[in-house]
Amino acid sequence: MLLIILASIAAGTTIVLGRNINSSLANRIGLLEGTFFNYIVGLFFSLIFLLISNDYLKLSTNLLKSVPIWAFLGGFLGVIVVSISNLVTPKISAFYLTLILFVGQLFTGIIIDYFSQGLISVGKIIGGLLVFLGLYYNLTIDKKLSIEKTY
Amino acid sequence: MYKLLSGLIGILITVMLVFNGTLSKNTGNYSSIVIIHLTGLICISCILLIKKRKLKLYNNIPIYLYSAGAIGVFTVLLNNLSFNYIGASLTLALGLLGQSITSIVIDHYGLLGAEVYKFKKQKLIGLTIITLGIIIMTFY
Repeated sequence: MLLIILASIAAGTTIVLGRNINSSLANRIGLLEGTFFNYIVGLFFSLIFLLISNDYLKLSTNLLKSVPIWAFLGGFLGVIVVSISNLVTPKISAFYLTLILFVGQLFTGIIIDYFSQGLISVGKIIGGLLVFLGLYYNLTIDKKLSIEKTY
Repeated sequence: MYKLLSGLIGILITVMLVFNGTLSKNTGNYSSIVIIHLTGLICISCILLIKKRKLKLYNNIPIYLYSAGAIGVFTVLLNNLSFNYIGASLTLALGLLGQSITSIVIDHYGLLGAEVYKFKKQKLIGLTIITLGIIIMTFY
């Protein structure tokens, strides 16, 4: 269980690193081109992982048929997300970007958990609010720091 | 306008997490990532073709800039794993903790071309509040 917790924290790290590096790339070679390279490099590495893991031995058309069609749309959504991220990351302050991304994600997450598991967890809403406040607080410190810098 | 777009990606990210997580539950973590990248690659290739954009081999770009794709694979792997055990909102909240910590480190050292924002102990307060929020989300 601890491993899972560490895994999702680490996922956050990879998100920030990936986002920044990719928008730097996109700055140089273009939005869509940046997305393209993101996916091609990603495909290459994921193929390597797949080969190492031997999971590909389990792949079959029966398996693929058991998956609901909408589950295949993740890649398509990812293209939209990556492209828009490349666009937006340099254009608005990290302050608003992180905050807005979190609010959007958490709000949607709570709704989805409700529809998939049938519960509105008050704890999640209150906890989510706290996470939001903590984030807001830290980001306000950053803003003050950058204002101090200009003097 | 950009703020609205950010809100949109926030929503899309969560939906994407659910789609990818479901795919990986059915076809295995590693297979699903290949499928995800394959479908995404086909998608962006079509867009590039439609827009008639050319890809060149760029020779004055440091190699590390291309690594975002590899990093992305880890993101999807880790997120899929977590989603199937602890659900969407918890995965996201913990991911946010990771993002906050990483951002603080990046800001402090000015890594990846970001401006330097030195670490202030006050930030520990924010991190503590975030962690508290996550604990509440876990147990209630």
